[in-house]
Amino acid sequence: MKYAFFLGCLIPAREPNYESSVRKVSSELGIELVEMKGANCCAPFSIQSLDYVTWLALAARNLTLAEEMGLDILTLCNDCYESLLMTNTILKNDKELREKVNGILADLRLEFKGKIDVKGFIDVLYDDVGLEKVKNSIKEPFDGLKAALQPGCHLTKPKRIHFGEWMGIRALDELAEATGAKSIAYERKEACCGGPLRGINDEIASQVAKQKLDSIKGSGADCIVTVCPFCYVELDMGQLEIKRRSKEEYNLPVLHFAELLRMAMGMKLENWEIRTHRVPITKILNMKEAK
Amino acid sequence: MSSLDADFMHDVANTPRGRGILTCIQCGRCTSSCSVARVVEDHNPRKLMEMIILGLRREVLHGPLPWYCLSCFTCLDRCPQNGDVGETMFAIRNLAVKEGNTPRAIVDQAQNLFGTGRVVVPTRMALIQRERYGMGKEPAVDVEAVQKILRKTSFDKLIYR
Repeated sequence: MKYAFFLGCLIPAREPNYESSVRKVSSELGIELVEMKGANCCAPFSIQSLDYVTWLALAARNLTLAEEMGLDILTLCNDCYESLLMTNTILKNDKELREKVNGILADLRLEFKGKIDVKGFIDVLYDDVGLEKVKNSIKEPFDGLKAALQPGCHLTKPKRIHFGEWMGIRALDELAEATGAKSIAYERKEACCGGPLRGINDEIASQVAKQKLDSIKGSGADCIVTVCPFCYVELDMGQLEIKRRSKEEYNLPVLHFAELLRMAMGMKLENWEIRTHRVPITKILNMKEAK
Repeated sequence: MSSLDADFMHDVANTPRGRGILTCIQCGRCTSSCSVARVVEDHNPRKLMEMIILGLRREVLHGPLPWYCLSCFTCLDRCPQNGDVGETMFAIRNLAVKEGNTPRAIVDQAQNLFGTGRVVVPTRMALIQRERYGMGKEPAVDVEAVQKILRKTSFDKLIYR
């Protein structure tokens, strides 16, 4: 299993601990990650809000790089996933737009041909590696850790470019439970973290995050587990922001899904990785040690 | 009373991603599924679609209304008309930007993109951690290629004025 590894902007800029866990897990599961030389920003929400054709052309450039490598793209970020998957779907189906975008890419001696697929880390684990192989890789399972899974919007939405909302969330639940954690039910699980409005309107971003955190707190979860690096920032650092605004304290540790899996596979987090978490995750580490 | 612009709905429909406005039946499922509408009274996707249909161009494009949406696409999946409200929001934002209604944070990200090929600029700490813990140097972006695209689509004119 070999993929063009699309890292995006946020992960190398803020969350190298997410990347390091993905690399460790991937190498154990036989997933080979090949760097995409020169790849640019996926063109997320902010850029799409400015101009349509610019979005498609920027995303298409990344897609053509992977086409030249002859590999499907693997992305770790839900925003990159949405942008690249949607562009790939649009350009594969719309001849007129494809010609327009190829007209722009011609200056770079690139052409979108529509030869590859775009996959998220969860799709790769579930569809390509397979649940059985993931289960067999678990050496130190969690003992019923109550995890509130945060799938993030663009893991499953819009459904017309995915398998369908609940299918994707179920895949995530099954993978999480393979680690010995219990995926607990909570209200508004499929809802947004509020992250896209961070910087545009911090007050509203915090209020949206709060709806989610209130529900998770009420469910009795030990921790939150995220797939998307934006959800991660919003729910981890966001708890500090909410505390500053409203004195409300949640103390809900937030783990990247890759970290959960890595620990269950028997690979301990290093100190520098533990220290990147704004809400301390010691509680979770201790639960694991005590077992 | 505000002036009503009968062309507005069609301008939205003819903007990429704006087609869905033509099929809106004002049922309100978008609003009832919206995370932001739960906490901000001013944000009501159904009402916003109504304002477009009525032709309230100024009210829609010149205030904060285009910039409350999270683009979570919940409404898009819930719309019984496949009306793509979440997509239409992108059309509205593209039109608002042309009128100069762009939040500072969006301009900042776009200028980062023009200068570095990325919307988020890495912290020094992240770069040090990547190198120290075996992930190598920051992956290089072909900034020249990005700028060629952005000049060709006149994106630079949208963000540097």
